[in-house]
Amino acid sequence: MTEGKILAGFLAPHPPHLVYGENPERNEPRSTGGWEMLRWAYESCREKIKAWKPDVILVHSPHWMTIVGHHFLRVPHLQGLSVDPIFPHIFRYRYEMKVDVDLADVCYEEAQKEGLVAKKMTNPNFRVDYGTIVSLHMLNPDWDIPILGISANNSPYFYSTEIGQEQMIKLGRATARAIAKTGRRVVLAASNTLSHLHYDREPELVEDMNKEVIFNNNQYQWDMRVLELMRKGKTDKLMTILPEFMEKTAAEVKSGGLTWMLSAMGFPQIPAQVHGYWTVIGTGNAVVEWDLTQRH
Amino acid sequence: MIRLSGETVRKLLLMPKGTIQRAYILPGLPHLASQIPAASWETLRRGFRQAAEHIQQVKPEVLVIYSTQWISVLGHSFQTNPNPKGLHVDENWYEYGDFPFDLRVDVDLTTRAAAIASSLGLATKTVNYNGFPVDTGVLVAQRFVNPQHTIPLVIVSCNIYAGQEDSLTLGRAMRQAIEESGKRTVVIACTGLSGRFFTEAIDPLQDRFSRAEDDTWNRRVLERIAQGKNSEVLLGSEEYAKTAVPDMGFKAFAWLMGVLGTPATPGQTLAYGPVWGTGAAVVEYVLA
Repeated sequence: MTEGKILAGFLAPHPPHLVYGENPERNEPRSTGGWEMLRWAYESCREKIKAWKPDVILVHSPHWMTIVGHHFLRVPHLQGLSVDPIFPHIFRYRYEMKVDVDLADVCYEEAQKEGLVAKKMTNPNFRVDYGTIVSLHMLNPDWDIPILGISANNSPYFYSTEIGQEQMIKLGRATARAIAKTGRRVVLAASNTLSHLHYDREPELVEDMNKEVIFNNNQYQWDMRVLELMRKGKTDKLMTILPEFMEKTAAEVKSGGLTWMLSAMGFPQIPAQVHGYWTVIGTGNAVVEWDLTQRH
Repeated sequence: MIRLSGETVRKLLLMPKGTIQRAYILPGLPHLASQIPAASWETLRRGFRQAAEHIQQVKPEVLVIYSTQWISVLGHSFQTNPNPKGLHVDENWYEYGDFPFDLRVDVDLTTRAAAIASSLGLATKTVNYNGFPVDTGVLVAQRFVNPQHTIPLVIVSCNIYAGQEDSLTLGRAMRQAIEESGKRTVVIACTGLSGRFFTEAIDPLQDRFSRAEDDTWNRRVLERIAQGKNSEVLLGSEEYAKTAVPDMGFKAFAWLMGVLGTPATPGQTLAYGPVWGTGAAVVEYVLA
């Protein structure tokens, strides 16, 4: 068996607004569009992913929140109706996905070797969270590539951000080893927005882009600072400022997806491609790609 | 100033005023719905069954539930699907079983409560969508106190950004709606107490508080409630939140006090104990 490898990693934000704006058949509500800068950004990623023909897409989602350890989806086939508990008026999506359970098993074993608490989710009636679904839909709306969903273990943050981030670095290392061992060619997705302060009231027309602005300029400045480091490939510096970014902007990357992904990729010091940036109810969102095929 | 005609005043005076018969603090973790015979879980189940018996005795026309596990961020949400049904699996504790549900919602009362809350300046939303994920807390409470789903419900979300004042206001809106409805009501705040979970696997039979100080804090709060010092509990909620990190800052209690008007009525603890290191209690207020 050839050694597996990570083809690319994507920062893949999951506001359900992006699916809603696109009007796919799977989503019941209809829109007049909106958030094109992010949707078009995703479109260019879709083409690349199709061309790579990966065996699996792994996604770490902050909306599958777990308390006892890091969980891996471990049911071969999952389907259902996902109604977003926060935005049910715009996201009622019929999903169907094939899960790479063999990779889940090895990820679980490797996570335990790192000293992490890990668990396999084996209940066939489990409802997949909307963060996982939105990121996966936006990267591959055909759902013809198996997936592996990973939960966001919130417990380390009971102690400190640093402890939480350390765990994500370990989880990333474990994931990388599991990928290598199983011979999978994979794409990683960190399902995260950037700055996360947001409005708590929506315009009458949800997709009224006249009302769509960043929550405050401080958030915007922070998002740009972080994106600039990504664009320049200054990953070490990025890791240094992440805790402050989380604190100053309530950044969703605190849930660990970005750190997990960068760790799995070996903290690549390569320029990332920012495909697009836009706000969703005031939060900062960017679709960013680290293309490791250039490195292999 | 609004001038009411004599006829309107007469009608208002004659209108039956809804009464809150009893109110409860109930835990909502799915461990309690399992068959695992952990000592503290058994204690809490007994408390639940006692509460259920008392609720059945007062024959309520509606159960009003605020659940900390229904999290909302765009203000306060109210369930207005007349018949939410489906199958729920908890995202954390999926091994503790599935929760099939087929609920009845009192849409009129819910809609009125949302409208009053909105008129008081709160951001509100009603949700009526097939497949909407009813939360674990509501379903655990239902399994014990309304297992046949015969009593209609009002279900209110926990807005993670709401402070104590907004939670009290949300409760007041509910109270006004209950009074206007003329219905016999039981009110439930579905919430945990101290919120520090064990973050690794434990033997449920060995369940205990993850921190002794949390247990002390919980007991202090329950003691004040038992003495009818509900206003003191409200005043001390911030300190409680800082030290024992109760479930969603214990804002469910503020909501409950908003509904009840922060009475000096004592709340009796029917059961208390740990669930996976956190605090849980069944508390009963007899109000009529």
